[in-house]
Amino acid sequence: MRLIGFIIVCICGGLLLYGTSEFPDWGDPASPASTHLSNDYIEKAFDQTQVPNLVTAVLADYRGFDTMFETAVVFCAGLACLLLLRDYSRKKERFYRHVPTGVILQVKHPEKKLPVGTEFEYMDKDWVPSDLIIKNVCRILIPFIQIYALYVVAHGDFSPGGGFQGGVIFGSSLILLAISYNLRTLVQRVKEKALGILCALGVLVYVGIGALCMPLGGNFLDYSALTRIIPWDPHHIRAYGMLGVEIGVGIAVMAVMVVIYINIASEGRHDEGL
Amino acid sequence: MNTYPALLIVAPLLAALFTGIFVWIEERLCYPIAVLGMLISSFSAYKILMAVLSAGVIHYRHAGWAPPMGIEYRIDTLNAMVLLLITLIALINLVASYKTILVETPDRSGSFITIYLLFVVGLLGVTATGDLFNLYVLLEITSLTSYAQIGLGDKDRGPLASLNYVFIGVIGASFYLLGVGYLYIKTGSLNMMDVATIISTMHDSNTVLVAFILCMIGVWIKMALFPLHVWLPNAYSYAPTAVARVVAPLMTKVMVYVMVRLMITVFGFDYIFSTLDLSAAVVWLATIAILAGGLMALAQKDLKKMLAYIIVSEIGYMVGGAWLGNTTGMTGTILHILNDAVMTFALFLAVGNMIYVCGHVGFDNLKGLFGRMPWTMGGFVLAAFSIIGVPPTCGFFSKWYLVLGAFEAGAYHFAAALIISSLICAILFFRIFEIGFFPEPSDGDDHAHAHHEPAVMVEAPVSMLVPLGLVSLSLIIVGLYSGTIVNTIILPMLQ
Repeated sequence: MRLIGFIIVCICGGLLLYGTSEFPDWGDPASPASTHLSNDYIEKAFDQTQVPNLVTAVLADYRGFDTMFETAVVFCAGLACLLLLRDYSRKKERFYRHVPTGVILQVKHPEKKLPVGTEFEYMDKDWVPSDLIIKNVCRILIPFIQIYALYVVAHGDFSPGGGFQGGVIFGSSLILLAISYNLRTLVQRVKEKALGILCALGVLVYVGIGALCMPLGGNFLDYSALTRIIPWDPHHIRAYGMLGVEIGVGIAVMAVMVVIYINIASEGRHDEGL
Repeated sequence: MNTYPALLIVAPLLAALFTGIFVWIEERLCYPIAVLGMLISSFSAYKILMAVLSAGVIHYRHAGWAPPMGIEYRIDTLNAMVLLLITLIALINLVASYKTILVETPDRSGSFITIYLLFVVGLLGVTATGDLFNLYVLLEITSLTSYAQIGLGDKDRGPLASLNYVFIGVIGASFYLLGVGYLYIKTGSLNMMDVATIISTMHDSNTVLVAFILCMIGVWIKMALFPLHVWLPNAYSYAPTAVARVVAPLMTKVMVYVMVRLMITVFGFDYIFSTLDLSAAVVWLATIAILAGGLMALAQKDLKKMLAYIIVSEIGYMVGGAWLGNTTGMTGTILHILNDAVMTFALFLAVGNMIYVCGHVGFDNLKGLFGRMPWTMGGFVLAAFSIIGVPPTCGFFSKWYLVLGAFEAGAYHFAAALIISSLICAILFFRIFEIGFFPEPSDGDDHAHAHHEPAVMVEAPVSMLVPLGLVSLSLIIVGLYSGTIVNTIILPMLQ
């Protein structure tokens, strides 16, 4: 079996190398990829969309339809995680730690809960004693990470960045909260329901902006049609359309990151975890 | 008219997102929203087909940019037909499977409907698009959602079957993407028509050859052509009923459509059959696929598994027909995309009803099924006749074109395989009929009166029987109108 695998890998590799024999030289300015469409994009994109960052213009406008579905792929991933991993069965027993004495209590009745606060804390298999330094450093860092994430989303038109990157940074700030405190803290602050709605809402913002263009007389995602309701220069409106969809992407990516993390870290139970 | 190509895909997408939100607020609203989305989508598909038939190819520019710069939907009679097929099957299945969704995924039916709609969006996007990369993105959505849905099936074996499918499916998609990458390096374009124009001048290029091979292997993995089929039987038989009913008729058929589209529109017959001359090898491969699929089906003891192997065999029909290199064979393949989707859908609808009533469909559990579920078995018999190829069901006509095409091309082995496969299917289904008709006396059963007791009818609910009835009747209607379909839809596009 290994031998067959090795032979197949060799054949595939050979095939790929054979195909490269007619490739244009590395960085060749006369190659088809840099002459056929690139010139048009480089020359016209700024006039047509008023977005200085060409990558954003191609991503969110010329090929905005692809990007919309990439966001939908992210949404699918979050949804798949939720569908496959989420465990709705009730937990049979709970453990609590009496903080002043360190005694651990087991409560077998599923309905009975102890008041959690300064006296008792939740206890599960991954419990670790809280660390003052880590907690406080992360507490200071998280707001700055989040502001930076918003900057990356908002500034995608002008410099590298955009919804995907910003969303990931924002999501990772929430995951940092779960790592530095514990998962329960995150789940209490950001409710599962809110995250679930945000996943779909982010994509809905994107699709909604696109669909809004249709009753206004444009094609799907043709932001220039939005001038009917916002009286603005038809080129400039494209930049704002892109900003709108980038915000949608940011929301969706952020929510999906956190949903995936919570579901995998807690094996779908949400109340247990790190 | 202009908005229908967008509405076709945006309606189910919006419905999916709204159900994704309403899952958390008011779960009862999910199902009506989904049905509404699919209704709008089906209506759009119908309008598109009518428009294409009267006015020719439709172009729709997403975001308003002209084709090589932006993404374009290019819908001719071939995709219009497949689009209507997808929307109708997805809609009928949503109605027919309402009860099974509630039974099989009770605590997550809302999210299940969301992912189901996204799966349909993926299939529609793959079919409607005129852009090679857009096709890949939608393929990714289709695959991801089908992995998730299959993983929800059988508690023990569903996730494992899904995981196998993930590994092989991702490899298939990567092959396709690599092929598109090679094409892009050579042409600088992603639009199908544009790429076709550019590569028509570089037929002797190694890069285009490798791109072609990579794309074809990718698509073959995704459609489960014989040596690459190993993911299919488990994935389809351990999936939840509502999923198996839509994945089995549509997923592989849409991939056959993609192959046909790449062959006709992007690479062109001249390149494939004159410059490369790979036809004979692929037709042999298809011949082996047909026979291997049939033989493996014979060895099965479970109805769902048996049907899954019949699909493997049917894929051989379509690949072989497309690669015969003549119009008759290609006509047979395209007609078979339509027919096989309807036949498989009817079979899986019937099997879904049996599972809903009997629990599982191992052969031992089918005894006396004609007495207990006469209506379901009626639909099953019609669909089985169509798979075997009994006129006037539709399966006969596409097989007829395939056999004619094989003779025209001199590929007698392929024609022989088609006929042998019909015989194997006849054996397979008559074995099921026999089990279903005659309840075997159980061991030590010497009570004579046991044979005189009338069978108690325990049919599936009406909401599941009516769709099955409609689809089985459509088998005959599609069969009777085969000539019209070939003359108005398929032949104009091939010329």
